[in-house]
Amino acid sequence: MNRSLDVNVIGIRGSFWKAFGIFLLVSFVSGCVSFREVKVFAALSSDAASYDALTRDYVAALDRRKQYQPEKFHGELEAQKIRREAQRASLDLLQQTVTDYMQGLGNLAAGNTHAYDKSLKELSTNLSRATLLTSEEKEAVGALSTLLARAVTAGYRLHELRKLVRDANQPLQHVIQATRKIVEKGMIADLQVETALLGRYYDNFMYMPGNPMEPVAMALAREAKAESLGRVNTRIRSAQGYIAVLDKIANAHQYLYEHHKKIGSNELDKQFKPYVADLRMAYRGLLDVSH
Amino acid sequence: MDKLSSDDAFELGNQFRDAAIALGDWRIQHRASLSKAEWDELDSQEILLLNTASSLYTSAIGLVLADSQLAFERLQSSVKEAKAAVKHITTLKQALDLASALVLLAGAVYSGNAASLPSAIVALEDAAEAIVDGTDSRTG
Repeated sequence: MNRSLDVNVIGIRGSFWKAFGIFLLVSFVSGCVSFREVKVFAALSSDAASYDALTRDYVAALDRRKQYQPEKFHGELEAQKIRREAQRASLDLLQQTVTDYMQGLGNLAAGNTHAYDKSLKELSTNLSRATLLTSEEKEAVGALSTLLARAVTAGYRLHELRKLVRDANQPLQHVIQATRKIVEKGMIADLQVETALLGRYYDNFMYMPGNPMEPVAMALAREAKAESLGRVNTRIRSAQGYIAVLDKIANAHQYLYEHHKKIGSNELDKQFKPYVADLRMAYRGLLDVSH
Repeated sequence: MDKLSSDDAFELGNQFRDAAIALGDWRIQHRASLSKAEWDELDSQEILLLNTASSLYTSAIGLVLADSQLAFERLQSSVKEAKAAVKHITTLKQALDLASALVLLAGAVYSGNAASLPSAIVALEDAAEAIVDGTDSRTG
């Protein structure tokens, strides 16, 4: 009888230490994991990528241009506006997908432990009913359980974050490059068209054959031309600011991808910080131009 | 003839835009020798060229959107995975099973009830292994 109990105790001890080892391991993971910069990067990228003023302006530009062209061209402008409106949903979705991805990355980095919090409260209630434990012991077991729950969550988040960054980098880079191309080669080039249209509109006022070169009228026309061109130039600079933001997001995510095995370490947090700072600066630049 | 690529369409748009700008510059420089009718005719041509450039940019943007459809769908799939992972965390009851198993073990240890110790330890082991296995199986 005694012999059998001894064997059990040895077995119990062996199992206990194994379980305790797992506990220490997950606790260690919880203590070491750092997602701070990834969280900041995801939040900044999510805000910056959702800049939708460019798409709105891309569609609205056609109505604006009607006032600078004779009526015979208005039908053509209206037809083009319809084509752009049809593209709008896709353009919005392109930006929204980057935003959604960054929100997903941010949520994963931040963790969402509401369900745990609720369940852990229930655990505390159960603990208080465990009459065989002293209050200090209940407190200790409760604290350990909370730590353990968090540790397991942190380990899971770490694993999922690395996987997400590894799998999403290629499509993300592609989508960002596509957006960049649309903004740079399409929208900015189109705003340069608007610059030319505006220029000729005011030049007609000033230089059309037979027009009297009245100095006050000329001065007013020059002023109006400068103001109008200034507004288009602001739109161009906003678009350029958005490109700078996209480049910083792409660079930072590429860095995360190349070092995804280090995600969660303090070392990566430290090395990633300058990329986040660059993105923050680019985003501020975009906001400065836009407001 | 090959299908027009987005780059071709953007470049063509640039050519039209630059031609219109050059025409406008020429018109201003030679305004003294132009009649009102000639001036208006050139102005209309410029507008036509500029609107054509705009239209080409619109077409090129449509081509970029079509070209990026695959990458876009793949990124959307990653977004879904991220959301699922977060959801998984919120419903991950294994951690609590583990915590509950600890309580059970602690209760058994302090009660001095040797008979209940093995089952408490098995429960603790099962809960811990379920979490480790669950994570590992997702790695593959």
